[in-house]
Amino acid sequence: MKIKKLLFVTKFESLCYDALHSLLDLRKSGLEHVVFLNVIEREKVTMRRGKGYVKDDEVRLKEIANIRFIDWAENLFEMGMEVGAYIEVSSLIPKILEVVEKEKPDLIVIGRSQKGKIEQLYSRSDITELTRRSTVPILVFKHMTENKLVPAKIFERPLFATSWSNSSEKAVACLKELGNVIGEMHVMHVVDEKDLKTADTHVVQQVRKKERNRLDDLCAEFEEKGIAARPHVYVGDPETEILRAAQEYQASMIILGFSDRTALMERWMGSISRNIADKSLYPCLLFPVKK
Amino acid sequence: MSKKVLVVDDDPDVRSFVVTVLEENRYTPLVACDGVEGLEMIQKEKPDLVILDVLMPRGSGIRLYRQLKTDDALKAVPVIMFTGIALRSFLKSQKALEEFKGEKVPEPDIYLEKPVEPQELVDAIKKKI
Repeated sequence: MKIKKLLFVTKFESLCYDALHSLLDLRKSGLEHVVFLNVIEREKVTMRRGKGYVKDDEVRLKEIANIRFIDWAENLFEMGMEVGAYIEVSSLIPKILEVVEKEKPDLIVIGRSQKGKIEQLYSRSDITELTRRSTVPILVFKHMTENKLVPAKIFERPLFATSWSNSSEKAVACLKELGNVIGEMHVMHVVDEKDLKTADTHVVQQVRKKERNRLDDLCAEFEEKGIAARPHVYVGDPETEILRAAQEYQASMIILGFSDRTALMERWMGSISRNIADKSLYPCLLFPVKK
Repeated sequence: MSKKVLVVDDDPDVRSFVVTVLEENRYTPLVACDGVEGLEMIQKEKPDLVILDVLMPRGSGIRLYRQLKTDDALKAVPVIMFTGIALRSFLKSQKALEEFKGEKVPEPDIYLEKPVEPQELVDAIKKKI
C-alpha cells in the first residue's frame, strides 16, 4: 500500500506548512498529491444570538484560509506535485469523511484533538471518532517540543508497536513501501503483565523468546525491503511501555494499529492507541482495523 | 449562435462573477466545480474557450491544463488561466512536471491573477474568441 495522496486537515493553529514540509520525504516513496482541508466550525459563523447567520465572518475566514492554502500550494506545485483544497463550513469529522470519499487519500494527517476532557467523554475525541469511522490510516501530527518546533524528519526513527492484530498487519503492508523514507525503525511488542500468570521464570522466558522470534521474522521482512529494523520485547502495561520505548529510542513517531474494541467499551475504558494518540507528545501513525 | 465558455472554478462567488460577465457580453456560460467535472464538460460540450482555476479539489487546474494540451482532440481549445496562484509558480510547476514526465506543454494563452476587473476579463476573452 503506497502513500501517493494525503489529506492534510488543518485548523492552522496547530498544523501548518512546517508540519506538511516534514512529511514531504514521502515523495521518495511515491507521494504526489496533497489535498488541503480546512473546516470552519459552524458555531464560529452560524446563528449567533442576536446576529443570526454571520456571513461576513464566513467570507473572512474562508479568505484567510484560501490565502494560506495558495501560499502552501505554490510551494508544492513548484515541486511538481498535484494539490487540491477544500475550505468548508461544517462539522469536522463528517466533512473529513466526505472528502475522503471524494478524494480517496492514502493517509489523513490531522493535529491532536482540540476537545476538552468532558466533551471527549460524551462525544469522543476527534481522533477516536475518525479512526472508528475511517478505513484510511491517520497520522496525528504533534509538535514535540514546547517551542512548537516540528520534528524535521518524522520517519527518521519511528517506533512501530505491533500487537499482531489485524490493524498491525495493515501497518506492516504500508511500512514496507516506505523503504526510501524510513531511517531506522524500532519494532516492539509489549507482553501484557496480566498475560504472565505464572511466577515460573522458565515460562516467562519462553514467552519472551516466542515474541522475540516473531519480531525477528518481522524485522527480517522489513530489512528485505531496505528498512533497518531492530526488535524489542517489553513486558508491562502496554501504554506505559510503548511510551517508555519511544523515549528510550528517541523515536520520531509512534506507529500503532487501532484497537477493535466496541465503541461503548472504548468510550468508558479507553484504548491504548487512542490514549497514546491523544495524550503523548509523539506524532502517531494509526492504522484502523482492516475491514 | 453565441460562443460557449466553460468556467472551471471551485469558488461559487468566482463562478458567479465570471458567469455574469459572460452573460452580459453575450457568451453562453458553462460551469464546472473541479478538474474532473471540468474535463467531462470539455469532452461533452466542446466549449470555444475555457477559463480555468488552478487550486481546486478533485484534480487541479494544472492537471486539467496538461490533460487538455496533451490530448490531440482538445489541445486547440484556448485556455485562460484565472487563479490566485502566481504565474511564476505555475511555470515552475510545468517545468518540474516536464522534467518528471518528459512531456512539454505550451504556456497558457492568457494568465490572469485574481482578482481582475470585469473589463480585463472581457478583453482577455475577446483576444481568444
